[in-house]
Amino acid sequence: MTVSVANDMSIFSLVAGASLPVQLVLVVLILTSLFSWWYIFIKLATIKRAESSAEEFEAAFWAGGDLNKLFDSLGAGRRKTQGMASIFEAGFKEYVRHKQQSRMEVSDVMEGARRAMRAAYNRELDNLDAHLPFLASVGSVSPYIGLFGTVWGIMNAFRGLSNVAQATLSQVAPGIAEALVATAIGLFAAIPAVIAYNRFASSVDRLSVRYESFMEEFTNILQRKS
Amino acid sequence: MMIRAYEKDVSWQAGVWAIGVHLLLLAALLLSFNWKATPPMLNVAEVELWDSLPALEPPLPVTPPVETPPPAVVKEAPPPPPEKVEAQAAKAPEVDIALEKKRKELEQKKAAEQLKKELALAQKKQLAALQAEARKEEMQNSDKLLKENKANETLKKLQQEALAEERAATEQAVASDKSAKSAASTGVVDEYRSKIQAKIRGNVNKSLCATANPELKFDIALLPTGEMTGLPKLLKSSGNKACDEAVERAIMASQPLPVPTDGLAFSQFRNLKLTFRPND
Repeated sequence: MTVSVANDMSIFSLVAGASLPVQLVLVVLILTSLFSWWYIFIKLATIKRAESSAEEFEAAFWAGGDLNKLFDSLGAGRRKTQGMASIFEAGFKEYVRHKQQSRMEVSDVMEGARRAMRAAYNRELDNLDAHLPFLASVGSVSPYIGLFGTVWGIMNAFRGLSNVAQATLSQVAPGIAEALVATAIGLFAAIPAVIAYNRFASSVDRLSVRYESFMEEFTNILQRKS
Repeated sequence: MMIRAYEKDVSWQAGVWAIGVHLLLLAALLLSFNWKATPPMLNVAEVELWDSLPALEPPLPVTPPVETPPPAVVKEAPPPPPEKVEAQAAKAPEVDIALEKKRKELEQKKAAEQLKKELALAQKKQLAALQAEARKEEMQNSDKLLKENKANETLKKLQQEALAEERAATEQAVASDKSAKSAASTGVVDEYRSKIQAKIRGNVNKSLCATANPELKFDIALLPTGEMTGLPKLLKSSGNKACDEAVERAIMASQPLPVPTDGLAFSQFRNLKLTFRPND
């Protein structure tokens, strides 16, 4: 009786012993997992930043100071304004410009400011939504990629059995273990991506609602001024 | 293209974090796989074969082996008592719970009544009556307890008796087994040895061995099924290579060899040194 025992079942020997398609699948999955985690951390930081800056700006805005001063202080910063501040900047700039042309109707001025704010809002929302589609597709597709690798590996493992008269578990076990690594990595990529996608989508929704209500309120204030 | 302009300042940090997470995963994988790499798998095959022994050919009628007395007859008597014991033991806790409940109720009653005492003297009589009742109940309860204790004791006695019987039975069986084995083991080993020799002899091409009746010695490793785990090892040659090979072929051809089904007796056959004379 020949007993061949795979004593070396470490992860490296498993991966090294896998067939080429399985290795390719593993490489693809590790890359997607790296990217999705990278985006997750980027989005965590940027969304947090957008939330805190919105908070800050709302506090400054509703403190009741002069709007011209607020506008100047925003422009003084070296960085390009972001989030709610950029919406305010766009709207206020447009409003001031229209006001200087004294022949314009109030409704036209308001319309112009609204349009400018809408454009800035769309830009902001686009920034907030960045990478979310990637996370969504990683969450839904990478389990399938992993499954593909696993099925391929198991097919190979069983095909190897056909030439052997007496099939033992030790002949298939390494193949199946190596194939299952693909599923494990696929799941490792997918689970955080799905969780992050759901979380970020809801945060972006909340932020966009906040921006929109700010736009409405700011329009009202401008209308009162003119 | 992959990241927005406003994300550049956090991208490095995020990249480091992402790589850290993956290193963590790798570490977890490495650790868990190292745990599983150690368990030896070689012994499994040997152990499993014991259970599914195929029925070997019945022993030869020439020298009937000393049969070990079947211990099953003695063993079958004891089992019934434990069932009873269990059934009655199951009742006991229920009664206990009921008792406790009653006691608690009684205690509550007493407390309430002592409050009443302070409030109204007229109820004293009633109280006394109630207390008497309570005492009566308590007495009854204690009676019950006593009875139960008695029942428990008898149950214990029964159990112990049953256990003692069982122990005696197994001891008897073991003793008889042992005596039978010590007496039989040498006989059984010799018997099977001669059976193996006879089976091999039938397969030997005797014309290859000289008429001088040389003696050969082989080392054979056997499985409980009577099959060999490897090739027979020649320990002592007959001096004639053709004869050695003929005997070796005969050993291979006479698989499965007759071996005792008994595990204890078989242990002598795991590594069998077989002396063999082809012309006996």
